[in-house]
Amino acid sequence: MTVLTRKARPVAAGPPATARTRRARERAWALAFASPYLLHLVALTAWPVLASLFFSMTDYDLMSPPTFVGFGNFSRLLGDEVFWRTLGNTAYFAVLFVPTQTALALLLAMALNQRLRGMALFRAAYFVPVVSSWVVVAYVADSVFNPQTGIANQVLALVGLPAENWLQDPALVIPTLAAVAVWKGVGYMMVLFLAGLQAIPEERYEAAKIDGASAWNRFRYITLPGISGTTFLVLVLTSIETLQSFEQVYVMTDGGPHGASELTVLYLYRQGFQFFQMGYASAVAWVLFVLVLVLTLVQFRLQRRWVHYA
Amino acid sequence: MKVRMLAAGTLAVLALAGTASCGGGPAGEPGAVTLRLGFYAGAGDPADTLMRELVKEFTAANPSIKVQLEVAPYVKFFERLRTQIAGGQAPQVWLSDGVLVQEFAARGALADLTDRVRTVDAAAYSGLELNRDGKGRVHGFPQGAQTPVLFYNKKLFAEAGVAEPTADWTYDDLAAAARKLTKDTNGDGRPDTYGFRAYSPGFTESWWPIVKAFGGDVVTDGNRKVAIDTPESRAALDWMLAAMGKDGFAPDYVTTESFGKGAVHTLFATGRVAMSYGIYARTLPAMSAKVDFGVAPLPKGPGGRGNVAIVNSWVVSKAATPEQADAAWKWITYFSGEKPQSRWAELGEAIPINKKAAATALPADRGPVFLEALDASDTLGTNAVWSEYTEALAKRVNEALSGATPVAEALATGQKEAQQVIDRFYAGQTQ
Repeated sequence: MTVLTRKARPVAAGPPATARTRRARERAWALAFASPYLLHLVALTAWPVLASLFFSMTDYDLMSPPTFVGFGNFSRLLGDEVFWRTLGNTAYFAVLFVPTQTALALLLAMALNQRLRGMALFRAAYFVPVVSSWVVVAYVADSVFNPQTGIANQVLALVGLPAENWLQDPALVIPTLAAVAVWKGVGYMMVLFLAGLQAIPEERYEAAKIDGASAWNRFRYITLPGISGTTFLVLVLTSIETLQSFEQVYVMTDGGPHGASELTVLYLYRQGFQFFQMGYASAVAWVLFVLVLVLTLVQFRLQRRWVHYA
Repeated sequence: MKVRMLAAGTLAVLALAGTASCGGGPAGEPGAVTLRLGFYAGAGDPADTLMRELVKEFTAANPSIKVQLEVAPYVKFFERLRTQIAGGQAPQVWLSDGVLVQEFAARGALADLTDRVRTVDAAAYSGLELNRDGKGRVHGFPQGAQTPVLFYNKKLFAEAGVAEPTADWTYDDLAAAARKLTKDTNGDGRPDTYGFRAYSPGFTESWWPIVKAFGGDVVTDGNRKVAIDTPESRAALDWMLAAMGKDGFAPDYVTTESFGKGAVHTLFATGRVAMSYGIYARTLPAMSAKVDFGVAPLPKGPGGRGNVAIVNSWVVSKAATPEQADAAWKWITYFSGEKPQSRWAELGEAIPINKKAAATALPADRGPVFLEALDASDTLGTNAVWSEYTEALAKRVNEALSGATPVAEALATGQKEAQQVIDRFYAGQTQ
């Protein structure tokens, strides 16, 4: 039997000087390597965030020094009908966009998760809109939804339905924008789902087939639980993206007709950069931030019930 | 040692950056001044090219002034300008959209040019009075002016056998001619050519002058009281709705919007409409498209012609040093001179504000119509919150013009919402 003994070390002395120096040097190097990111974080994220929190409690027109108004901007928000309408527009857009894009991305991923020739081409084709700018997408969308010359109305005419004013009708503008946003964004989410699908072990399907499980049951009991982590990620990302949506409406409708497609971030932009109300715009930004945070926390809380990390 | 070198290097970089950020200061030589000059134009636009040429001539004549140009397209220019002002980095002189001068001035960003303007012969320039605020102060010196007149397509008039517009035309005359000019040549039940373009997202060439011509008003009391909710304004919008609806001689709201952003201004140039209200800048696309066109005064309504004008202006930053402000004023007076103004007029982009240049450089057939309209013009309701209150109002008026909301309801709501915007800013201020 071997007995291991350890030499007693003086308690108060701490590590030897050389070890301390080495650790200090390592810390310095770590800090040096991390410093570009830390500088970026402090200068371009933390500082603007804190500044906007300060501005949200001021009357600030960008040109004269801000004057402190406490929660004045937030109480003004409560009675601002336009703000609430933009929030309603954003929620409506999210309700249409998030489930549609998620479901469609999953369907496409399943369809393209086959070992067939030319599949890579299809995957690339669905990904092309993701990397296109919104200006380009707006032109394409116009060729589809223009009430005079667009393909959508030509299709309706073929089946004997009346033409629609897709982007000029207050009732249709948000569903149309949601459809275009799905078309642009579905490719990215499809790639995430593809990765999720390919991570499910093939043996599970083989075992289920041997046990006589139907295609629906294999989807229900193997695929869906197997990609629940990816689904959760897609839902969180899409929800945040929707609440921050700006470029699309700015380019395609500028919030029209009559504000029917004015989303909250576009409203925020106008208040801050067109109407000289940076304090009020900052308050809108913070309310939006809190909403995104609450929504994300709720999603994280609910995920415990349905997300399985195998 | 290394740490010291690094610190020294950092200080050197900071010192250089500090020096660079003081670019608005003296340019090195005694008495020399560096002037940052901002204006909006697309890269490579004829306006961009000409402005650079004029700056070159100006600096050649004023060797002690070094000019640094800051150019960007319209939206980007003003977006950047606001943050530059916030950061104390605005150009010392810039070209402002006329409707924004009071917005900048009311927030203390502009130097008061009233005393400098007194030193020039006011009778030699157009638009000076339109730049005065409620207290008679001037914060911008005119660069070029825009005012709508009636554009008409001579060829379409001749084909339809309709007499060309005259200065005596009323809105009834306009409607009668427009009906005759509206043609559905392919028989699809929708006109291929409309007699008149009534609706435009830009109200300067649409409902604003029409409301005024019908005897209504948009803002009164030093542009602080919204006064559009009147029977006269309702009559004006009803006339427009009839034009786009039961009379059918103007493309409706949806049709116009569906042409896309900016395309509304090409409807006349492409022959889709035979008549349109247009500012001076609309002559360019019409000439490029080789349209045989003329211009006539706006038709008379019960309230007159409703002429309005926008005077784009040079403004000087309040943060400019006295030397820079002097240099900026030198630039302004140079640009306002007959020769630069005549060259600018050749672009066809704006009415020259130098009256001598306007008398010689504008086309003989169209020039007098624009100049008379400019002389008769009122401001476009400019005040410290122009962008915001006009957007609130335009949203409701456009609702009415699209048929989504009854005219009376839209005007009442629009008036209330626009007034709230104005009151929020001016609360507690007497003038």
